[in-house]
Amino acid sequence: AARATPKLSNRKLRVAVIGGGPAGGAAAETLAQGGIETILIERKMDNCKPCGGAIPLCMVGEFNLPLDIIDRRVTKMKMISPSNIAVDIGRTLKEHEYIGMVRREVLDAYLRERAEKSGATVINGLFLKMDHPENWDSPYTLHYTEYDGKTGATGTKKTMEVDAVIGADGANSRVAKSIDAGDYDYAIAFQERIRIPDEKMTYYEDLAEMYVGDDVSPDFYGWVFPKCDHVAVGTGTVTHKGDIKKFQLATRNRAKDKILGGKIIRVEAHPIPEHPRPRRLSKRVALVGDAAGYVTKCSGEGIYFAAKSGRMCAEAIVEGSQNGKKMIDEGDLRKYLEKWDKTYLPTYRVLDVLQKVFYRSNPAREAFVEMCNDEYVQKMTFDSYLYKRVAPGSPLEDIKLAVNTIGSLVRANALRREIEKLSV
Amino acid sequence: ASSDSGSTSPTAAVSVEAPEPVEVIVKEPPQSTPAVKKEETATAKNVAVEGEEMKTTESVVKFQDARWINGTWDLKQFEKDGKTDWDSVIVAEAKRRKWLEENPETTSNDEPVLFDTSIIPWWAWIKRYHLPEAELLNGRAAMIGFFMAYFVDSLTGVGLVDQMGNFFCKTLLFVAVAGVLFIRKNEDVDKLKNLFDETTLYDKQWQAAWKNDDDESLGSKKK
Repeated sequence: AARATPKLSNRKLRVAVIGGGPAGGAAAETLAQGGIETILIERKMDNCKPCGGAIPLCMVGEFNLPLDIIDRRVTKMKMISPSNIAVDIGRTLKEHEYIGMVRREVLDAYLRERAEKSGATVINGLFLKMDHPENWDSPYTLHYTEYDGKTGATGTKKTMEVDAVIGADGANSRVAKSIDAGDYDYAIAFQERIRIPDEKMTYYEDLAEMYVGDDVSPDFYGWVFPKCDHVAVGTGTVTHKGDIKKFQLATRNRAKDKILGGKIIRVEAHPIPEHPRPRRLSKRVALVGDAAGYVTKCSGEGIYFAAKSGRMCAEAIVEGSQNGKKMIDEGDLRKYLEKWDKTYLPTYRVLDVLQKVFYRSNPAREAFVEMCNDEYVQKMTFDSYLYKRVAPGSPLEDIKLAVNTIGSLVRANALRREIEKLSV
Repeated sequence: ASSDSGSTSPTAAVSVEAPEPVEVIVKEPPQSTPAVKKEETATAKNVAVEGEEMKTTESVVKFQDARWINGTWDLKQFEKDGKTDWDSVIVAEAKRRKWLEENPETTSNDEPVLFDTSIIPWWAWIKRYHLPEAELLNGRAAMIGFFMAYFVDSLTGVGLVDQMGNFFCKTLLFVAVAGVLFIRKNEDVDKLKNLFDETTLYDKQWQAAWKNDDDESLGSKKK
């Protein structure tokens, strides 16, 4: 910080983390380990958030996750074009590489538990609002309802004073609202958990499917993901939210033979942020995860980025406060934002361009699927997905890829013109 | 026509599998304007259903063509004078794709689609799509090229032959060719502009966090 903040006397820095998902859990753990008095407030401890539940391989290592929380290891992806050309991706995966599928209730609970073990205080409560401090160093007052664990209890209203707040409370973040963080566009994702007959389930043992086409979604994709003992079938859209049910039916229809006879055991819908909020921090309040809007375009991935942003924000607080000994200010939190944008903005940008180029029309989707059949593309895609780093490609292969992609796009668009001629 | 065409009971299928959260979302008007205003509709919904039967549209209409065999076009049937008539392959595939857009088909692992448009040779595409426009484009490119060479020569004194060895002139040439290719009609200028706005929007959304702190007290104190 540019301004020298004073040392705290007789106490440690107090930070409240609102929301106990991957972002909140990871933030609370890092804070507690860094010697900060940490309070985590979560409204529902066994919340199974509707979520695809895919995590990249590097998350297992970076967050030291035990292997038993991973329900399934997906090693094969099938991309299916509007004209039903199916391309298998994942041929380039090495033996130990996979995409992990987790249940959010399991992952979230595990991360919270770990935060608690590191010294964080976990409160089952609902955050209501906060009073902003009068001075630059006076505390925030949080208002929340605490539940004592008994079901049906209305809970008791309480207040608490803290020095800083991390908002990890998801798409409808109350923390974001209280700092006037602004809105973001969101996509609606709709998902049905379907229990399918055993013999059909074996097909989805280690395989996930992605369907693209105007029928399943005008701007996203439809999916069939394997879960612990069932599959999740869903789709999403930003532009045509009112038609989501139509898209869901279309997704089921495209997968029909493979999920026939299935029983719907759960129906879920949730918002996915499309871009970050205009303001991601204000004074000593910072947003992380979905509350900030850290979900990638194109793939709609958010768990890893949530956990990572929670940790990065917490690290900035630990560093700025010199392990809880000093007061912090906005400058310390800005360091988190700076580092985040520097590290991940290129990734977000690339995925945004991919979505814009390849999800815009059926011909573009055909070209996309064609492109994904290329081994080099698969290798690069998986490398960047699994390890969250952009591996330098070979220039020759890059040029080949560019030429092939343009070829695919030109062909698909030529056919589109032919189709238009037909309809006149 | 919609995907329901040919179904036996599409309406029944829709009404039976309509659990709570679905209704909530459907009630939401189709949003053309961005921004999250209606928080209640954006709230995550999560409802357990007791083993409800999953329904699909029972469409039996499938794409059929005597020349479409085992997931690909039977090229033998497209032969004309001993050569494959690629033009009719293109037309046939266009017809199939149009059909599929109106009647999306279920995927099947037993009958995969194998036809790959890249087997159609490049000259067949060019012959079909480029020739009518090629005269116009070539003419334009030649004229622009000539006048650019003239202006560069008259302004800088660098002759045509020397221009070829000059990096700046090569770039100019490239820009001219790209321009001729991308801007074929006047509408194309607007289209390109829209595309540019669209691609920069996302960056603006990210930069917002850095812009609005300029007018904040703390931001200025730091400096």
